[in-house]
Amino acid sequence: MPTVSVKWQKELYPAVEIDTAQPPYVFKSQLYDLTGVPPERQKIMVKGGILKDDSDWSKLGLKEGQKLMMVGTADEIVKAPEKGPVFMEDLPEEEQVVAVGHSAGLFNLGNTCYMNSTIQCLHSVPELKSALIEYPQSGRSNDLDQSSHLLTVATRDLFNELDKNVKPVAPMQFWMVLRKKYPQFGQLHNGSFMQQDAEECWTQILYTLSQALRSPSTSANLDTVKELFGIDLVSRVHCAESGEESIETESVYSLKCHISHEVNHLHEGLKHGLKSELEKASPSLGRSAVYLKDSHINGLPKYLTIQFVRFFWKRESNQKAKILRKVDYPLELDIFDLCLDDLRKKLEAPRQMLRDEDGRKAGLKLKEKSSASVDNDVKMSDAEGSSNGSGESSKAALGGGAASDKNAQLTGVYDLVAVLTHKGRSADSGHYVAWVKQENGKWIQFDDDNPIPQREEDIPKLSGGGDWHMAYICMYKARTIPM
Amino acid sequence: MESEPNNTASGSGNPKEEATLKAPSKDPKTKDDKKDEDLSEEDLALKQQLELYVERAQDADLGLQKFALESMRQEIRTSTSSMTSVPKPLKFLRPHYGTLKSYYETMADSDLKKLLADILSVLALTMSAEGDRESLKYRLLGSEGDIGSWGHEYVRNLAGEIAQEYSKRVNEEATVDDLIELVEQIVAFHMKHNAEPEAVDLLMEVEYLDLLVKHVDKTNYKRTCLYLTSSARYLPGPDDVSVLDIAYTIYSKFEEFPSALQIALYLDNMQHVKQVFTSCPDLLRKKQFCYILARQGISFELDEEMCADDEDKEALQEIINNTKLSEGYLTLARDIEVMEPKSPEDIYKAHLLDGRASAGASVDSARQNLAATFVNAFVNAGFGQDKLMTVTSETSGGGSLGNWLFKNKEHGKASATASLGMIDLWDVDTGLAQLDKYFHSNDNHVTAGALLGVGIVNCGIKNDCDPALALLADYLDKEDSSIRIGAITGLGLAYAGTQNEQIRDKLTPILGDPKAPLDVIAFTSIALGLVYVGSCNEEVAQAIIFALMDRSESDLGEPLTRLLPLGLGLLYLGKQHSVEATAEVSKTFNEKIRKYCDMTLLSCAYAGTGNVLKVQHFLGQCAQHLEKGETFQGPAVLGIAMVAMAEELGLDMAIRSLEHLLQYGEQNIRKAVPLALGLLCISNPKVHVMDTLSRLSHDADTEVAMAAVISLGLIGAGTNNARIAGMLRNLSSYYYKEASLLFCVRIAQGFVHMGKGLLTLAPYHSERFLLSPTALAGLVVLLHACLDMKAIILGKYHYVLYFVVLAMQPRMLLTVDENLKPLAVPVRVGQAVDVVGQAGRPKTITGFQTHSTPVLLAAGDRAELATEKYIPLSPILEGFVILKENPDFREEA
Repeated sequence: MPTVSVKWQKELYPAVEIDTAQPPYVFKSQLYDLTGVPPERQKIMVKGGILKDDSDWSKLGLKEGQKLMMVGTADEIVKAPEKGPVFMEDLPEEEQVVAVGHSAGLFNLGNTCYMNSTIQCLHSVPELKSALIEYPQSGRSNDLDQSSHLLTVATRDLFNELDKNVKPVAPMQFWMVLRKKYPQFGQLHNGSFMQQDAEECWTQILYTLSQALRSPSTSANLDTVKELFGIDLVSRVHCAESGEESIETESVYSLKCHISHEVNHLHEGLKHGLKSELEKASPSLGRSAVYLKDSHINGLPKYLTIQFVRFFWKRESNQKAKILRKVDYPLELDIFDLCLDDLRKKLEAPRQMLRDEDGRKAGLKLKEKSSASVDNDVKMSDAEGSSNGSGESSKAALGGGAASDKNAQLTGVYDLVAVLTHKGRSADSGHYVAWVKQENGKWIQFDDDNPIPQREEDIPKLSGGGDWHMAYICMYKARTIPM
Repeated sequence: MESEPNNTASGSGNPKEEATLKAPSKDPKTKDDKKDEDLSEEDLALKQQLELYVERAQDADLGLQKFALESMRQEIRTSTSSMTSVPKPLKFLRPHYGTLKSYYETMADSDLKKLLADILSVLALTMSAEGDRESLKYRLLGSEGDIGSWGHEYVRNLAGEIAQEYSKRVNEEATVDDLIELVEQIVAFHMKHNAEPEAVDLLMEVEYLDLLVKHVDKTNYKRTCLYLTSSARYLPGPDDVSVLDIAYTIYSKFEEFPSALQIALYLDNMQHVKQVFTSCPDLLRKKQFCYILARQGISFELDEEMCADDEDKEALQEIINNTKLSEGYLTLARDIEVMEPKSPEDIYKAHLLDGRASAGASVDSARQNLAATFVNAFVNAGFGQDKLMTVTSETSGGGSLGNWLFKNKEHGKASATASLGMIDLWDVDTGLAQLDKYFHSNDNHVTAGALLGVGIVNCGIKNDCDPALALLADYLDKEDSSIRIGAITGLGLAYAGTQNEQIRDKLTPILGDPKAPLDVIAFTSIALGLVYVGSCNEEVAQAIIFALMDRSESDLGEPLTRLLPLGLGLLYLGKQHSVEATAEVSKTFNEKIRKYCDMTLLSCAYAGTGNVLKVQHFLGQCAQHLEKGETFQGPAVLGIAMVAMAEELGLDMAIRSLEHLLQYGEQNIRKAVPLALGLLCISNPKVHVMDTLSRLSHDADTEVAMAAVISLGLIGAGTNNARIAGMLRNLSSYYYKEASLLFCVRIAQGFVHMGKGLLTLAPYHSERFLLSPTALAGLVVLLHACLDMKAIILGKYHYVLYFVVLAMQPRMLLTVDENLKPLAVPVRVGQAVDVVGQAGRPKTITGFQTHSTPVLLAAGDRAELATEKYIPLSPILEGFVILKENPDFREEA
């Protein structure tokens, strides 16, 4: 009966006797007592391999005091989970979009970056998307021309495709319809399509959509586009010479940010843009005179579009030249002071609430103060409850539910959601790119077919002053507060 | 001092010269007069004196003649002034050289004639025309007196002339005995005067290095051997071997056994290794030898002769078997406080890249999970704990143990299971226990991974019980090819370099099996190549050659086929012309792979030799413009790196040549260039290489970019290099959409943070002197696999990434006491300085910092003890070093 030592993991069992008359299974049972590893899981290293249950001890040449090694554990055997994980690689393409976290890029069809970037910016407005989904395929209202209808349908289909795909989309259909509707975009130069002004494209598309989406079939909203983008302006037109004064109202889709030597910031440019001089025939003077037009905002949209007037017609070079001046713009824009007094009054209450909420988010100071009295405490919790509710409802608003719109109050505060930039020296050359904030809060630079993630702090750096991309059109989204 | 009178003489001469500069305009004189005028009175006197001697030397009166010659000799000898100007007496005697020479011819043989010959020999130093070797001629005719008495310059000149004369005489097959006699004198003189390099150079010229052994002594043998070993790198074979043999003899003579052992290992001469063991009586020093052997990664069995006592022998064998490596590594890790496991997210540092973190946390990407598996394995390699695979069931609930494993898809599960082996690297007991439960899985991929894991955990560790062989052998003949590959690769990794015959007997039949699929055969070939790396084993070579010949035409086009010639090449790794017979056979292969095979064999055979001719050969191959479809230039480019990596100079030249290939090469060359750069600078992030690779990582060609990304990882492997980490982070956002490239970026990130920065992949160690063949073999397999990234690493054979385990070693200095317990002592760590051929005791490191052991050593770093209290038993402070207390040490009061 030789005695051996058995090593198992880090432990050494010094004196284990082997009864060579018995089969190795007996020895394994001995080890089972020592280690707790069931015999069938034991692997004992002997010369020439693993000790088998039917091996003959005498053939193994066991020596007194030999060291054996045993491998094995009593751990349960790993089993595959019944439901294996789903891998992204196995998913159909539509579902991969969710995983990627942003929509697809658009192929450049030959100088169509102005169109691509415009589409990407507009595509980021969920309300517009949902309005388009409701747009009927066939039911064209009478006052709408065929090409506008087709363009609207094409927009709807393109938006759909962008949402469905991970890989870049070629906006062929849209491009053809757009050229049909607005032949100026089909200009050729040296046999290829020319670069165009993105602002023009933007305006025309919005105009067409506003025409199409006004149709009675979507009667719930009188004019979706106007509701989303329309800005009501009240202008006082005043003639210094004659003392004439008149009030005009108009609705525009974008505010202009005029750029002059004094303008360093968007706000200054907007103020500038709301004041203008015009020459018109003065009835009292009987000749044309200079009128001062001073506009104020009377109605705020959900999406505030701001155009930087960077291009002007340069007669000597016969092209739209560009102002490279750096104009800063904020991620959060407050246009309270551009509003008419009536509107300001309406905004007061929601703004107060917004401030309170911000304060609450910023710190506990408010809470400490209010906890002084029990009454306040109760109010406080009420407020908190409502703020929770507001979170939900604002999410709902994000989803584009028209129902919750009614309770949401505008505050005059806007958050930047999309920037369309231009790089180059004139409107008809260079390169347009869209920078769009996604629903998950990440920024994506859509450079034609190539979406590139960007950091939020880099977005305000697109303010110009060099040859880098500079903001041409900014789109802000209203921050609302439920009432 | 002897030189003083002369110095003053020339010193006083200078103002005089200046004064006479103005003279000519006023008072023109003849040229001769002017010359006399230039001299100081002292010099003038000397000159006249010498002229007199010359005259007298030709006198008929022998007595007078003798006196004149002796005085002349006296004058010359006392005037050993600086080397830069000719000594005055020599200068004044110049005009009389011809006279004396012709007089010499007329003299009858006598002592005086010899005396004159001596003087002529010295005068020839300045007078004799280039190539005449008159100095030597007269020396041989002269009195053969003390050679040093004429000064260093004379000896040096003579040595030069001897070298020329020697080669001439060898060509003419004339006798050289008289020269050798002279050589002996010169060598003795040089060795006495700290001019070892000159002595060695001379002896190499006359091919008589054996003489050196006689002349080295305790004071100069170190410098001599250093010069010998460093110059050996630049010598053509077989001279280098004989030079190193001499160095070995000298080291043995002075009982500098660790250095002798290193040379024996360099020569791969096991006879020498044994001799070191038998000739050293001290057990403790033998233990140090064992550590050195263990680092080299070769298997070595001690016998009775080397260590009489059984118990001691066991202890020594244990060190060679590397069983304590894991312990030492963990000691280092605890000391540096990096035991805390790291998750892949800690490496990716996505939070530093705003706007980039994937929003799709809800859906797993199989490829990204696989990347995370590898990153996790590399980063936590050897630590025994991680955050994905070994999390215990208590913390995360019973069922979740296998969770991460099953977040990998199909063959990904094999790599995931095998990663357990990587995490428990070198700790065989724990590793096997961890892997045990996966053996019984009903999923073939999991089982295959467990088998591979056993191989990984045993890599470089030997165990008497041979658990790897016992466990894996049963699976070699299984039906499922992934299980077979797992077992085969596992055996290859576990027994790399052991030349284990049992394994050969088990694996070679697979090669001949007509039913075995190609991938099984390919990995068998690699496994055999690893086990028999550098052995030139004929039988294995035959088996692989037959396997290659049996392949069908279509098989030869498969990407995996490249592993077959590679396996063959590994057999001859670093063995130079031993490959020739096999290379000849390879010429009969199917023409599809003939050239590829040829390049692979050649590159392996000359790997680590620095052979410039082979580098040129490979460059020549790369200059060809190929027909479509030929791929042999890939291995040729890798070959440049494999050959040139031997020494720094050749390495830098190779980097420059590769730049050229990059500019002018075609796609299949360009994609191999980053890999070659990666091998040249492995674990040694040189800034300019880093920049090149960074540039290439944005290359328009995806394959070039992928190779560059992987290579960025390789050059930074185990360094935690912040700059590379930053580059890779940016690349991860740049390529966030391209799954394949992102995978490569992740792998590279894993490499850079390998072992949390405690590891190195460099196959060179011991101050870049020794090359570990198994380590190099592992790297070469990986790089060859990277030549076709898409089919192998991005396909289903991603586990070839685990071949780097062969090259993984802690880059540490761990000092241990006489009981082999870690001992903290202060050491200075700094950049190594090349001190070859420098006189005195120059500083060997620069810009050092003092640390307490254990410490990390970066590439090019060298350590030295900062205390006199201990004596290290190895002159090279790397890896495990045993310290002995210094008996002469006195604590300073």
